[in-house]
Formats: sequence, C-alpha cells, structure tokens
Amino acid sequence: MAERGCDLRAWIVWAGAASVLAMLTRNPLYALLLILVARLVDAACGRPERGIALPWARLALVVLLLSAIFNGLFVHTGETVLGRLPESWPLVGGIITLEALVYGLTTGLVLLALLAIFVAFNHIVPVSDLVRLAPRAFHDLGVVVLVAVTYVPETVRHLSQVREAQAIRGHQIRGLRDWQPLLVPLLVGGMERAMGLAEAMVARGYGAAASRAQQPGMLLGLAVGLSLTLAGWLLALWRGAAGWLLFAAGALLLVGLLWRQGRAVAHTQYRPHPWQPADTAIALASLLALALALWQGVSLMGYTPYPLVQLPPLSPIVGGALLLLALPAFLCPQHQGRHV
Amino acid sequence: MSKSLSAFIYGLSAVIGIAAFAYPFILASMPEASAAGAQAAPLMTTALLGLCLLALLIEVQGEVVSAKVVATLGMLVALASVLRFVETAIPGPGGFSPIFVPIILAGYVFGARFGFLMGAMTLLVSALLTGGVGPWLPYQMFVSAWVGFSAGWLPHPRNPRLEMGLLIAFGVGWGLLYGLLTNLYFWPFFIGETAMRYQPGGGAVLALQRYTAFYLASSLLWDLLRAAGTGLLLLVAGQPVVRALARFRDRFQFSLAEAPGG
Repeated sequence: MAERGCDLRAWIVWAGAASVLAMLTRNPLYALLLILVARLVDAACGRPERGIALPWARLALVVLLLSAIFNGLFVHTGETVLGRLPESWPLVGGIITLEALVYGLTTGLVLLALLAIFVAFNHIVPVSDLVRLAPRAFHDLGVVVLVAVTYVPETVRHLSQVREAQAIRGHQIRGLRDWQPLLVPLLVGGMERAMGLAEAMVARGYGAAASRAQQPGMLLGLAVGLSLTLAGWLLALWRGAAGWLLFAAGALLLVGLLWRQGRAVAHTQYRPHPWQPADTAIALASLLALALALWQGVSLMGYTPYPLVQLPPLSPIVGGALLLLALPAFLCPQHQGRHV
Repeated sequence: MSKSLSAFIYGLSAVIGIAAFAYPFILASMPEASAAGAQAAPLMTTALLGLCLLALLIEVQGEVVSAKVVATLGMLVALASVLRFVETAIPGPGGFSPIFVPIILAGYVFGARFGFLMGAMTLLVSALLTGGVGPWLPYQMFVSAWVGFSAGWLPHPRNPRLEMGLLIAFGVGWGLLYGLLTNLYFWPFFIGETAMRYQPGGGAVLALQRYTAFYLASSLLWDLLRAAGTGLLLLVAGQPVVRALARFRDRFQFSLAEAPGG
C-alpha cells in the first residue's frame, strides 16, 4: 500500500458522486444505503483525529424525529389517517397522516446521508492537501489560506502565553468582560507578527513579479457569465432542459475565465503526488455509480409516499451502483501507525 | 466602466444570493414548475451559489496585491478561526458564535472588500480545520462574506458611543439574519417541494407561513442567543479592537505613501 493513501482528486470524485446521488434521491432505501456506504468508508479509510467526532446516534435521532414530526404536523395529505388536531389551530390543525411522517423521515435520511458523506471526506483528506486543491487562479487567496492554517497553532500558543502572563498579574476569567485583557494583546501581537511576516515576504520577493492586474474583459466576462447562470437556473426550474443549456453555458464561461486567469500564474510543486491504479479504480467506480444511477433515470431515484404509503422501490441496478461507492473501503484501508 | 461593472457584479450576486436562499418560495409560486426541475433544484442551487462565489472571489482578489494584505488577512483569519475553535470546544449559550465579531470589525476598519475576503476566508479556514467541508460551505461563505462586505459600508461616526451603538445594532441584526438565511438552506430537506405542491392551494404564501412556523419552532431562540452574544462581545471588545486595527491600518497607509498623493 502506498505511503500516503489514495489521491485527493480520487476522493473528490468520490465525494462529488456520492453527494450528487444523495441530493437527487428521495428514496429512503437509497439514502439508508448511502449512509451505510459512507460510514463504512469512513471507518475503513478515515483518521478520526481529523475533525470533530460527531455523536452519530444522537444526531440521527434528533434529525429524524425533527423532520418527521415537523412534516407530520404541517402536511395534511395522505390516506392513512393516524389522528387529527382541531381544525381551528392555525397551520397544524387537520389530519395527521402516516404518509406525511414517512416523507419527513425520508428527508431526514437524505440530510443524514449528505452529512455522513462529508464527515467521511473530512476524516480522510488532510488539510494540507485540501489547500493545494485551490485552483491556480486563486493563487493569492491560497497563500492567505496557507498563512492562516499555519498560524492557527501559533495563535493558540500565543493565547495561552497571554493567559499565563495575565494570570501572573492576578487576572481571572469570571465573565465576558474578562476576555478583553486576553483578546486585545492577542490581536496586537498577531498584527505585529503579520507586519513581520509581510516584510519577510517582500524581502523574499513576494509580489515582485509583474503585477497580476486583472485581465481585460475579465469583469465583463464575469458579469455575462453570472447573468447567464442566473437566467438558466430560473428557466430550468420553470421549463427544464432549455434552462440547463443556458446554465451550463454560463458555468462554462465562468470556469473558462478561471482557467485563463490561472494560466497567468506560474506554479511549481515541491512533492507531486503520484496517481496510482487504486485512485483510477476509485474515480472510475464513483463515476460509474453516478452514470448508472442517472442512466436508470432520475425518476427511479425518486419516491413519494403520497397519496398512499407503499414500500419504496428498490432497483437492483441503482442499489448495486450505490454499493460501488464502498469500493474505497477495500482499496485503501487506513493502517494504524502509518506515516503521512 | 470597470467600477460600474464591479458594482453590477456585486448587485447581481446579491440577487443570486437571495434567489438561492429563497428558491423554495420561488418554486412554490410556480405551479407549472417542471417536475425534473424541482427534483434537481437543490443541486442546481448549490452549483449556482458556488459559481457566484467563484466569480466574486476572482473579482475581489484584485484587493490582495501586497504582502501586507496577504499577511494581515491570513493572521486575522487565523485569529478568528481560533475563536471558532473556542466555540466548538466550549459550546456557548445557544447559537452564540464569536466569529462574526472579527469579520464585522475587519470590514468596518479595512473596508468592504477586505471584509468580504475576511468573511469568506474565515469560514473556509475554520471549516478546513474543524472538518466542516460540505455542500453547505458555499452558503456559509457567501453569507459571512456579505456580513464583512456590508460592514465596510457603515458610516464612521466620530462619537465613540454612537460608533459602538451602530456596530452593536449591525452585529445583532446580522446575527438574526444569518440564522434566518442558513436555515433556508436546510429547510427544503426538511420539508420537500413535493409536499408543498400536494397541499391544495399551495403557493408562496403558504410556503412562507410554513417557514415562519418552522423558524419559530426550531431556531428563533437559538438565533436570539447568537445575536445577543455577538452584541455583548462587541460591547466588551469592540472599542479597543477597532482602535488597535485602525492603528495598524494607518501604518499600512504610511508605507504606501504614493497612494494618497496620486
């Protein structure tokens, strides 16, 4: 197994495909399947010390209960009547149906699936790799993010130093007001260090290259691209296909501008990450899952309990496609004590 | 020309933001909306907002020209992200999050575009560090960028009490609005468009009624606590922080001597 696990780009394809599927489906069985797949991949490939450990069981219970109860109280449609509230009560008055509860549960499951996928992604991918992902056009902003990420531990150290220094003077934190003698020295010290850092950057030639002025036509291109996407989005909600074309045209224009801006930035990489067969397999499996599910028809992904609740359909092809997303769990499991 | 184009882009982005957050209502008021469009709506809306954020970041990146801006922005973002750490480590009262205070104050002192970058980058970095990267990130970045951006428009009254009053009112207002907007992102997942269309006589008004009920039931208290916390923190730390930041801003302008002289 490789020293550094699977490639970041492969994981992005995986998370992208999985979350698109989660956002498209309204079928509780598929949502459940996605949650299981994401939890499996998380358990196999993730490093739990990255990010926060979520209290999964409690979170799931709260989300499911909240969405089911909310939908059940406010939607008075469906044939399986469980009970009724007085009609005079605003909004909640009317029949309580099983269908509305099931619909609420389904939406809760979709939300949980989305959460599970990205919790797994955050556990798997290290921060430094994510920063490198920034498109070349955002080189300057990437530097800002790197400075910030690098200085966070420094700032935490600085905070504890300030706190010690103030504690020696007899300072205690009792209320909100007592934070002021900590925050202000922290801020001033941080700004002083920013000045030092800026001077060091200038001394090493940062910003000495020809000014990266905005290219001609950039603003106009951005304005046109944004207008196209907005118009396309509205039209797609309303009419479907024609709007999607317009939306895609606008998106293409914006991405093209980004690419053109990126070409103006020279860029070298210190340690390129090799792309391995396992990465190809993960990316291909994810894309195949997406393609299979879309080919089967988006309508198959949908499910509505109204007007009479029935067992949601389970197409073996869509189910199999979703299971393909579990492939990374077997291709790049995380070994204990591995060096990164 | 380029100024009015920039203004147009920001105006358009505000429209896109409102449309993206309000799309459940737009959809509800279109009885003839295509079913396929409705099903793909969450996905497309996320894409729309993401693209809009990309365009704005390209536009605003022109601000990041000197090493000083890079270093200052990076350092302030690091500071604000540490505050977010404090928040996740010690859950404060309700939705209280100290993260808006540095964003508002940076925008107020250093100007609208700096505030925009501060808002977007702070949310990005703290999401990277706490493991909160997901499709909700563009929404959060978009709103908090607008928090910083609009803070740059505030007038700078000379009277310190008036100044603090203004900032606190601004912070409390955004604290409430932030919850209102980010809830709208989760809302369509809780109660889908289909349910709305199955409701006889459904429409934007009914959707709005439902949303109000959802908001009151689930998050008003949370948001009130957030807003109150932001206001309180501004009251306690606002004045010295503004003074310290302004002092550094003056030091910047001192070294960029050619700027005011022309």
